[in-house]
Amino acid sequence: MFLSSAEAIERLVPQGTGLLAVGGMHMHNNPMELVRELVRRRRGVRRLLTSPSASLAADLLIGAGLVDEVATAYIGFEHLGLAPAYRRAAESAAINVVELCEAAIVHGLYAGAGGLPFIALPAGLELSDVSSANPEHFHTITDPFTQERVLVAAPLRPDVAVIHAIAADERGNVFFAGAHFTDRLMAMAAKTVIVQVERMAEAGEIAAQPAESVLPGFLVTAVVVAPRGCLPTASHGAYGYDEPGLRAYLKLARTAEGFTEYVQVNGMAPAEVTA
Amino acid sequence: MSTAVEVEYSTGELMAAVMARHLRPGEVAIMGAVSALPQAACRLAQLTSAPGLWFIAGGSGAVNPHLDPLVASSCDERLLDADAVMTLPDVILVEGRGDLIDVFFAGGLQIDAHGNCNLGPVGPWRHPTLRGPGGVGLPFVSRAGRVVIYSMSHDRRTFVEHVDFVSGPGFAAGSVALHGGGPALIVTPLCTMDFDSETHLARLATLHPGVTLAQVLESTGFAPIVPPKLETTPVPTPDQLAILRGLDPSGLLRGGA
Repeated sequence: MFLSSAEAIERLVPQGTGLLAVGGMHMHNNPMELVRELVRRRRGVRRLLTSPSASLAADLLIGAGLVDEVATAYIGFEHLGLAPAYRRAAESAAINVVELCEAAIVHGLYAGAGGLPFIALPAGLELSDVSSANPEHFHTITDPFTQERVLVAAPLRPDVAVIHAIAADERGNVFFAGAHFTDRLMAMAAKTVIVQVERMAEAGEIAAQPAESVLPGFLVTAVVVAPRGCLPTASHGAYGYDEPGLRAYLKLARTAEGFTEYVQVNGMAPAEVTA
Repeated sequence: MSTAVEVEYSTGELMAAVMARHLRPGEVAIMGAVSALPQAACRLAQLTSAPGLWFIAGGSGAVNPHLDPLVASSCDERLLDADAVMTLPDVILVEGRGDLIDVFFAGGLQIDAHGNCNLGPVGPWRHPTLRGPGGVGLPFVSRAGRVVIYSMSHDRRTFVEHVDFVSGPGFAAGSVALHGGGPALIVTPLCTMDFDSETHLARLATLHPGVTLAQVLESTGFAPIVPPKLETTPVPTPDQLAILRGLDPSGLLRGGA
């Protein structure tokens, strides 16, 4: 079904959602229109799950005070700098950080998508402090085949995933351009999937490039058409990231007051709720 | 940042040339976030001393991106102009094999004498004084043939006795439980270091032109092993510089980003 961003968040993301997964990688393909709507509607989530490298989407949700816990392997802005709201929240212990690594996220989503009860990780990953920092997400068990000790991690089954793609057809088949990162895995593992797209697919477009139609409609709960809706992050196949726009965020969000100003100036104050 | 020797070059260009010389033909290298520097080094190596080198550019999944041009973000769509493109889950899957990745480029907000890297919390884990972004794939350095650590900062805040959090494991003090060969090289704006094969401690290898031993020791929070004879890091050749500048018209390696 095709919904407006307001309808999608209102209907499909309940207040206090247990695990919300947000797609994209670094400053690319962040589903910003859906994220802005979450902020506008003050939708709190108990735990936010990021892709292996999150950026603006996660920082905005955390800065708005909507996230109790974040499970992540990276929130930052690469060469542009650290994530200001994440830093403020973590350094004041206002948010609980479930420190993960890319393997725990990707293999965990694979487990979630496939109904696997847990995942075993390659030997050597236990040498980092990621697993010791999160005893509730990681355990060490005996491998029944070799009798060696093996690190295992929990499956990841998001209640809701919000991701971005270039286009979708009327049946909700989703068509990607460029890289699709871990967004398909998030969609396959999640119970409810909202896909933000740049546009409706043109007639015959998917048939002409079936290899790019890699998320079938039966895995998609709702599609939201939001042209240029990833800005200031990039949308592969459509536009690059808006570096001045990202730098403007980073500058303002250095302080809590500046963050509030950014939210208001960018139409995310609660008064902007429309539907 | 430039030093007049024979040709003007930047610190970034010098570091890229050093890393390029470390790579061998046919190897497979991988790098993560903020990796324009090792990407340029790999492309330079492919075009000079290491033909047939493969490299996987971070989260983009691009294999041998043509870097036309070099870009700042590791997930930029322009990287997909490449010899092949893997999906990101596939990249993360094969990083675990343990027999595929020869060289892993790593870095950290903190780097210690055993080559441990920290991109996570600085200070207490639950109440950090500096919340770093997170280690992404750094735990996988333990599965790689060897690790090249690079940092654009060389100061006592970055180079510490012990990291506060191990994102990428180096040689654990007193024992070696790594599956791969562990850290092999550190490249900074001041010097290069390698690791002593007995103690697994960082050892100064070369000083960049114009840098003194005292300057490095003052800027390093641990005491690196100092060999009796310290060489000067070779400067990039005019051919190497011509290749790097061809890849990098916007000057990312010359302080442009």
